[in-house]
Amino acid sequence: MEYFDISLQLTDEDIELRNAAHKFAEEVMRPIAKQLDRMSPDEVVDAGSPLWTFLRKAYELGYHKTLLPEVYGGLGLTPTQIHLINEELAWGSFGLSVLLGVCAFPFFAACLTGDEGLIEEFVVPFCACTDGSMRGCWAITEPEHGSDYLAYESFFRDPKIRGNVQARLAGDEWVISGQKSAWVSGGSIATHALLFCQIDPSQGMAGGGICVCPLDRAGVSRGKPLRKMGQRDLNQGEIYFDEVRIPKHYMFCEPDFYSQMLEMILSSANAAMSIFATGCARAAFEEALKYAKERVQGGVPIVQHRSMRQRLFEMFAKVETCRALSRAVVNLNFNVSPPLPEYSLAAKTRCTQMCFEVAHEAVQILGGNGLTEEYLTEKLFRDARASLIEDGANEALLAAGGHIVAQTYPRSAAEVFEA
Amino acid sequence: MAVFQDVEVIRKVFVDLWTHLIEKTEFGAKMREADLSVLYVTKDPEVYMYVDGNGVLFGEEAKARDAVLTMAMSGDTVHKFWLKKLNVPKALALRQIKAKGPVPKMLKLLPLLKPGYELYEEACRKYNIPTDV
Repeated sequence: MEYFDISLQLTDEDIELRNAAHKFAEEVMRPIAKQLDRMSPDEVVDAGSPLWTFLRKAYELGYHKTLLPEVYGGLGLTPTQIHLINEELAWGSFGLSVLLGVCAFPFFAACLTGDEGLIEEFVVPFCACTDGSMRGCWAITEPEHGSDYLAYESFFRDPKIRGNVQARLAGDEWVISGQKSAWVSGGSIATHALLFCQIDPSQGMAGGGICVCPLDRAGVSRGKPLRKMGQRDLNQGEIYFDEVRIPKHYMFCEPDFYSQMLEMILSSANAAMSIFATGCARAAFEEALKYAKERVQGGVPIVQHRSMRQRLFEMFAKVETCRALSRAVVNLNFNVSPPLPEYSLAAKTRCTQMCFEVAHEAVQILGGNGLTEEYLTEKLFRDARASLIEDGANEALLAAGGHIVAQTYPRSAAEVFEA
Repeated sequence: MAVFQDVEVIRKVFVDLWTHLIEKTEFGAKMREADLSVLYVTKDPEVYMYVDGNGVLFGEEAKARDAVLTMAMSGDTVHKFWLKKLNVPKALALRQIKAKGPVPKMLKLLPLLKPGYELYEEACRKYNIPTDV
């Protein structure tokens, strides 16, 4: 259902974009996400899967390039418009929204380098793609290195800890070997990876590099897509690299600024997750409200019970809080370079937690019905649960945020904006 | 030692450069079309420079303008950028450049600056600014 937006600044164009995204979320994403949720992981990525219908339609409408600038063929949206559209998409499906986000990730990163070669080879064709045939993934997570390996722990620089994916320079090429874990979102179907790898083991995990790696190269293979509790419509799976060769300039970040670039990329990803959590929380609240108006107990709809109104209002307030925080952070961090990571971390951890609480309460309000697949609430709950771990387990992100705040609070405007 | 020793040299170099870009390339028209403006704030030396599709302003006049994008960096970083010797994502990550304004607009600006690189090298020769940085 359409919601009232407390921002008085929205333009007619903003509202049109939001409404169009809502229509797509309602008519395309929800039915396909429901189908995918009940399929096996292998079936989800099979040739005949409705996943491909979703991708084709999303690409036709340009929803894969919401982050990309007009100059290269992207939608050139304002941060508020990025927020409005992505909240709607996540209202349709959390998992499919994450998929669209990671589809863009290598191309968005390539775009930020300003490297003409990478832009011509990757960014422009991605923006021009209307059939879903160019798909990215974010290949950072490794079997032995997950959320704990953010840049703030002392062991991040421990040379005894080796990355699971190594890259070495051989002439004009990087040669990459190793394994990314089963948690690579979109990894089962991606054509390109934003690949994080270790270049200089003497610096531990801080000795990393980031490259765009086409996955049609010799030596790339995949694991089976993973069966998991929530966001089953988002395929995730391992990627293996066996002496995979890429041109030197594909590696756009090396150890001399790897930690800082990792922080910048996490800031964008965490801000995006806070938007998706807002959409999912709203979906759960609306399901609960609708049910409370229909379900009769004691001769009246349960919405007329005082305690129910209190519970629904708590949910409403959490959704509004999610939107206010996530939109403010998107407006901050998509307008400031480099971004301020503590705000993205605050938004990701708070919004996913509140999303989970709202989805949990929605299940509770639906009672037994909330546990059944007949009602959307059950899927929303599972999807929300996954988000507490996705893109960094919240505990690890809170520790990272605490580390930053301890060092930087209070930031001054001069520190943020002046040379 | 900072590359730019003299604020006046910066003024001369960039008045020539921006005027050429605005009048002789698509830069001016595209900036006007996109309603784009940039305030460059440099230190070492301290300079405020405002550019839009119509011209360039310096000092207090520049400071008083409300720009869509603000880019803060040292004079040496500016110099490296125009010599194409700056890794921009690295400079952003290391906070050598601090930018305020919509990222898509910033990305729109970059390709429009291309014709300026050659002009800048010529200006360096003209004003004896070292290019071996």
